[in-house]
Amino acid sequence: MKKTLRSVLIPLISIGIVGLIWQLVIVGFHVQPYVAPKPWDAVMAVIQNWGLLWPLVLGTIRETVYGFFFGAILGVVLGVVMSKLELIRRLVYPLLVLSQAVPIIALASPLVLILGFSVTPKIVIVAWIVFFPVTVNVVDGLTHVDQDLLNLARVYGASSWRTFTQIELPGISTPLFSGLKIGATYAVGGAIIAELVGSTGSSLAFYQEHASANLQTPAVYGTTLVMTVIGIGWFLLVAGVEMLLTPWQRRNVARRRRVARPAADQ
Amino acid sequence: MSSALLDVDAIAKTFAGTTVLAPTSLRVEEGSFVSIVGPSGCGKSTLFNIIAGLLVPDSGGDVRVSGSSVLGLSGHVGYMLQKDLLVPWRTVEDNITMVARLTRRVSDDDRREARDIATRYGLGEFLNHYPKALSGGMRQRVAFMRTLVAHQPLLLLDEPFGALDAQTRLEMQSWLLNVWRETGRTVLFITHDVDESIFLSDRILVMSPRPGRVVADLPNTLARPRELDVLTDPQFIELKSTIMHLLHSRESA
Repeated sequence: MKKTLRSVLIPLISIGIVGLIWQLVIVGFHVQPYVAPKPWDAVMAVIQNWGLLWPLVLGTIRETVYGFFFGAILGVVLGVVMSKLELIRRLVYPLLVLSQAVPIIALASPLVLILGFSVTPKIVIVAWIVFFPVTVNVVDGLTHVDQDLLNLARVYGASSWRTFTQIELPGISTPLFSGLKIGATYAVGGAIIAELVGSTGSSLAFYQEHASANLQTPAVYGTTLVMTVIGIGWFLLVAGVEMLLTPWQRRNVARRRRVARPAADQ
Repeated sequence: MSSALLDVDAIAKTFAGTTVLAPTSLRVEEGSFVSIVGPSGCGKSTLFNIIAGLLVPDSGGDVRVSGSSVLGLSGHVGYMLQKDLLVPWRTVEDNITMVARLTRRVSDDDRREARDIATRYGLGEFLNHYPKALSGGMRQRVAFMRTLVAHQPLLLLDEPFGALDAQTRLEMQSWLLNVWRETGRTVLFITHDVDESIFLSDRILVMSPRPGRVVADLPNTLARPRELDVLTDPQFIELKSTIMHLLHSRESA
């Protein structure tokens, strides 16, 4: 329990320190309130406008989550196919790099022209950002699976499907989740850029633009805080799923003595 | 004379023009414990991989298990290396049943057998532990149990204790002899540790390097069950000196 408390407390302290530095800079350098607000004023701007912000927040979360899932699935499938088929890997790798060399903002405009001002181009952009680190890590993980372990499976006559599900796939959990966590961090950023280019009014990015145009400085900064919190929250959720799915990373002993095992274990 | 469980008949292997293994023949009788000793580079691991079905030898030879050819086939040997090859995401129990999991559905009988064997041979307390919580010796025990419950007629062990410290290795050798005596399996054991080969085996095959071949087939008549005090038995010393001479004269030649 003491350990859990500490793991929550220490990040909170570091966030508190950043807030404190922010406060000191504003006060110490006499920063004008229309340039930058004090941290608490930014937070208050969020709280006061929460009724207006909440549906926009939900919209951004939806784009982030859908885009993340499409990107993650695409990333894993592409990574597996590329690691299994040499020709596909050679064909696709340059395209992968190319896809990430295109500036996202330059990608957003044509996507809006193609897909319209709907939620679709936003999901596509988030997926576009998320799939790349996932694919790279899956390919890397699968090409580095212990050859002796694969030989062990071969000696006993394991099928390639069982070798994949029992040895290769669980064996890449660490690089896979690294890719997913990188993707999770960038996902919200992608959603905001897409909103900036492709919204007609009801989005978090548009709200911030509007606040900026009207010199509502605390609201501008407050919106940035909200976007950041969404990003952190999504990262923590993915990291939490990793912890749940990979108990052997943290524990020495499996949690339960399992007498009858569920059917998932085939 | 019992029938040969393993019959290796004139197996050779050439990699890119270099003969790694000269034509080699050997037989392992059912229920016996046979060791192959040789310096590194004598082709013993190549021979091992051919028997296991991981490598295809040059044409002309044959490998038979219980009379039928197994060249290039899999699923006829239990296989264990210096690396334990336990998967970190499975508990001890689930690592023991790994071979079943790789080939079919794991049944309650498989799990019961894994628990029984782990309990009988000193790992009952650790069934739910992940491998990272175990010492090197314990991990090799789990790896050996995984090999046992695969129920293959022949166990191929390639320097299974090579990475352990001297004290643990001695413990593991006694432990292995005990398990072998109680389970009555056939073992082909590769090592470069001469003491280990004498302590464990009924027969010792000595190999020479480049191109690898069997230069001596020495029976070991030391009485069983063997305790650690055989290490100083005159018969042991004599056999050791014979093997050392064979290995050393070959190396300096």
